[in-house]
Amino acid sequence: MSVETRRNFGTVRVPAGLNGLLPALILIMLFFVVPVLALLLRSVTEPEPGLQNYAALLGDGTYARVFFNTFLVAALVTIVTVLVAFPVAWMLAIMPSGLASIIFGIIILSMWTNLLTRTYAWMVLLQRTGVINRTLMTIGVIDQPLPLINNLTGVTIGMVYIMLPFMILPLVGTLRAIDPMTLRAASLCGASPFQAFRRILLPLSLPGVAAGGLMVFVMSLGYFVTPALLGGTSNMMLAEMIAQMVQSLLNWGLGSAAAFILLVVTMALYALQLRLAGARRMSGGI
Amino acid sequence: MKLIITGILAGFIATTVLATTAAKAEDMVFTSWGGTTQEAQTKSWAEPFTAASGIKVMQDGPTDYGKLKAMVDSGSVNWDVVDVEMDFAIKAAKDGLLEPIDFKTVPKADLDPRFTTDHAVGSFYYSFVLAWNKGAVSGEPAGWADMFDLTKFPGKRTFYKWSAPGVIEIALLADGVPADKLYPLDLDRAFKKLDTIKSDIVWWGGGAESQQLIASGEATFGQLWNGRVFALDKDGADVGISWNQNLTAADVLVVPKGAKNKDTAMKFLAAASSPAGQAKFAEASGYAPINTKAKAEMPADAVKSLPDAHVDGQINLDMNYWAANRDTIAARWYAWQAK
Repeated sequence: MSVETRRNFGTVRVPAGLNGLLPALILIMLFFVVPVLALLLRSVTEPEPGLQNYAALLGDGTYARVFFNTFLVAALVTIVTVLVAFPVAWMLAIMPSGLASIIFGIIILSMWTNLLTRTYAWMVLLQRTGVINRTLMTIGVIDQPLPLINNLTGVTIGMVYIMLPFMILPLVGTLRAIDPMTLRAASLCGASPFQAFRRILLPLSLPGVAAGGLMVFVMSLGYFVTPALLGGTSNMMLAEMIAQMVQSLLNWGLGSAAAFILLVVTMALYALQLRLAGARRMSGGI
Repeated sequence: MKLIITGILAGFIATTVLATTAAKAEDMVFTSWGGTTQEAQTKSWAEPFTAASGIKVMQDGPTDYGKLKAMVDSGSVNWDVVDVEMDFAIKAAKDGLLEPIDFKTVPKADLDPRFTTDHAVGSFYYSFVLAWNKGAVSGEPAGWADMFDLTKFPGKRTFYKWSAPGVIEIALLADGVPADKLYPLDLDRAFKKLDTIKSDIVWWGGGAESQQLIASGEATFGQLWNGRVFALDKDGADVGISWNQNLTAADVLVVPKGAKNKDTAMKFLAAASSPAGQAKFAEASGYAPINTKAKAEMPADAVKSLPDAHVDGQINLDMNYWAANRDTIAARWYAWQAK
């Protein structure tokens, strides 16, 4: 009982620490909250006061399609990223640490390389006259170049590549924390490797998958460069549409409204994730 | 003590501010689209201007209409002269984003009236031409109609991605609309025509991208700016060009409302639009001069590759029509693209 009280007391002391946080809070207010409020204000005042920008966005088939596209691409990218990242992360988790740190280095190095350069590299690889199509045609696998770019395939490949580190890193952390003995115990009890994976490894790694997945999903929602360069116009994403509204049409009211909707949806998803994580921690807490 | 420190500090700030403004009054900022075009502008206009006047010209870019509007709206304008598309300039002048040109400083007499307005002086004019990769196309495309002929010319074709004068007109011309009946644009007809090849279109968003698409054969042929084809040809790429029904449009130079160095900007405009400045730029870029006296100062073979040498069948895109209908066309254009 006394231990409980002391722990609670520790939590209550937080406000005292707020003093130290004040400069950071002011910074966030000035450079994040104020601009977001300005954005919101613009979305309901330009070109005239009212909700017409939101009505236009929600009532128009084109915008609805772009919204749908944005979520579709983000979801697809998240799923593929999880599928690719999981085996890599598992390998890294059980590998000797020397070798693992070299591979970590390679993964992190790719994050330091300029995003535009990496996207252009994919253009060179994926285009009709690109390395992949040329090779496949030379060895006779295909007669006609595969459409790998300017479509959903191109966007997915390019974005999965960019998102992989954000999925692998949290996942490795989670997987390393799993006691390998649990898997051995499972197999000793007669579980097949698949059963051990499905009933032991997968459930235990879910927090990492969820954390990485949410990060990838949210980052994908607002992505601009890669979809603009590797995608076609028919799978335009929201960020590109906002750029058009702001730069080309100079319709800032509409652009602000679109940006604000994206922000609200993103925040809602984040809140959902927090609640799910909180619930899991409570039910799983010993 | 505190007073003294405050005094010193205030004095220091005042001197710094004064020094910065003094330095700023001498310098100016020129903004354009980057790449080979801005390099040519720097060499042909900015460098000679600095040599003659001692005024430094700082280069910025790429041109961004959103940024321009933001600068004017906030009253903090960092750009003094900006290279913009002409239909945007007409619209921006109407929206009060531009300074009127001081034609006492900028001599107007020899400027091509097609590309001169109260708020803009021509930068250069160009043509959209049909260009193709000779290695990837069998036969020679003869005109815009061939870009819509999938049996005779299979493969990907490339068009300008953004809502701007050009593609709509090309579709209408290909569909048989006579050149003098283009305006007002029949958008329904144009989009219907474009629908017939939509899945075979690869869009280019910038000049370098258009060059890459054609040079690599990723797109076998397309609608390009003549200067970009000129540069490809100079670099030894195997490209063909058809000037048949080439479509002219122009870039113009504008001064954003509230530019810090307005007077210097006007002097720069005078130099850039002068016969010498225009001749030099045209020779370097393959784009046409907007000063009618410029051609006399250019070598004869450089004149041959200009849109000016291909006025037969040339069509002037209607910038005033576009300026008036920019937003409605754009809304339909992007909706159609996203479909």
